[in-house]
Amino acid sequence: MLAVDMTGDAVKAKNGSMVAYDGQMAFKKLSGGGEGLRGMVTRRLTGEQMTVMEVKGHGTCWFADRASEINLVGLQGEKLYVESSNLLATDAGLRTGTTFTGLRGASQGNGLFTTTVEGHGQAAIMSDGPAVVLRVSAQYPLTVDPGAYIAHQGNLRQSFQSGVTFRTLLGEGGGEAFQIRFEGDGLVYVQPSERNTIAGDV
Amino acid sequence: MYGAPGGGPTVYDPMTLPVDDNVNKYTFCVELKGSQWFLQKGKMIAYYGSMEFNGIGHGRLDRLVRTSFHSPLHASEWVVAEGSGKMLLADRAFDVNSYDLEDGNLTIRSGNLLAFQPSLALKQSIVPGFLTLIGTGKFVAASNGPVVFMEPPIRVDPQALVGWADCPSPCHHYDHSYMTGLMGGLRAMTGLGGASGEEHQFEFVGAGTVLLQSSETLMAEQATGAVPNEPGVPGGGAHTGPSQQAGAPRLPGQLGDLQRRFGL
Repeated sequence: MLAVDMTGDAVKAKNGSMVAYDGQMAFKKLSGGGEGLRGMVTRRLTGEQMTVMEVKGHGTCWFADRASEINLVGLQGEKLYVESSNLLATDAGLRTGTTFTGLRGASQGNGLFTTTVEGHGQAAIMSDGPAVVLRVSAQYPLTVDPGAYIAHQGNLRQSFQSGVTFRTLLGEGGGEAFQIRFEGDGLVYVQPSERNTIAGDV
Repeated sequence: MYGAPGGGPTVYDPMTLPVDDNVNKYTFCVELKGSQWFLQKGKMIAYYGSMEFNGIGHGRLDRLVRTSFHSPLHASEWVVAEGSGKMLLADRAFDVNSYDLEDGNLTIRSGNLLAFQPSLALKQSIVPGFLTLIGTGKFVAASNGPVVFMEPPIRVDPQALVGWADCPSPCHHYDHSYMTGLMGGLRAMTGLGGASGEEHQFEFVGAGTVLLQSSETLMAEQATGAVPNEPGVPGGGAHTGPSQQAGAPRLPGQLGDLQRRFGL
């Protein structure tokens, strides 16, 4: 559960994720994620849809979604890449947008596009079980299972690795046929659970 | 460099990740230094370094399979990780823990075992749905809630049982005074008049340890493979009695019992 103290400022949160509040709050649905007309059209086109509300007022507001674990990410001008289904709330000052992810998205079954969060402030991301934050640096590249990946931040290049061989077709694959490799400098968030991906059984 | 924001979560890198220990309650880190580990398919969530994951049917691994993998019938559920680096294991956000065996044996529900060192030998248990590990080494198991260790004699709820070590004798125990008779049958069948749901337990006696999970939610069963179809092998399919599925003993209160009671 995420508790947000507000003194006249606002947060953006996933529609319907408020579970309780005290004080004075106003809830306003933001069509198209509060990204303006262009953002709205982009989200429509990419299928990376996100219904967002703006919460504004004085007091404390509690957010939660399906008892999933909530991880706070502080941003100082960097960009956070997260699946829209894993994004619970952001400070109103953070800009959200949509970006192309390529094959990684496809291997996760989450579509080819992902959400970006940018600016200064905090974002709350959700995971199935507490997320483990792994640092990627030049000498330590990281390889992640697409089903366990939830978000990353920093200056990272991602490449898609496939271990599909004729063995996979024989039903004797390594069980880790699709992997995403991160190189560069940044942080990757993984959850201790795997979503069902098309690669899940390969 | 991207530092952890004030009061934020710990950021791990290959230097700070623990060696063969838990990262948090749900994630386990294994260090490979040219060594090998057996793991259940799809439980690796991330790794540093260079690793290879190979299905157990892989030719090069044949010798390894011969020495430490004696269940050819479910080999396709397991992979061998080899290489060097650190690997994170997790299973559907269940609790994971590692256990050390020293020249011992342990039997565990097949769905709960995540990974083990090749110094252990994995065999199918005679008890259907369970696997036995023999030898010295480390293994990682998942459970729904923390694991509790108990000493026999003890009777446990079938859904809470994770496994047992050092050979106590597992057997079924029925609360007969509560179940027998027409009223008992009706009670169990309809739930009227207070079926407590605890009329059937597993009983362990003898020296050893019994592992329980602190919830009654079973983890998805992992196929252990079929056993040879011979008489005398439980679950082997050859004349195990009328419609009696080994491994899933008919629960008290199912119609079969009532029929028997009425002599039908």
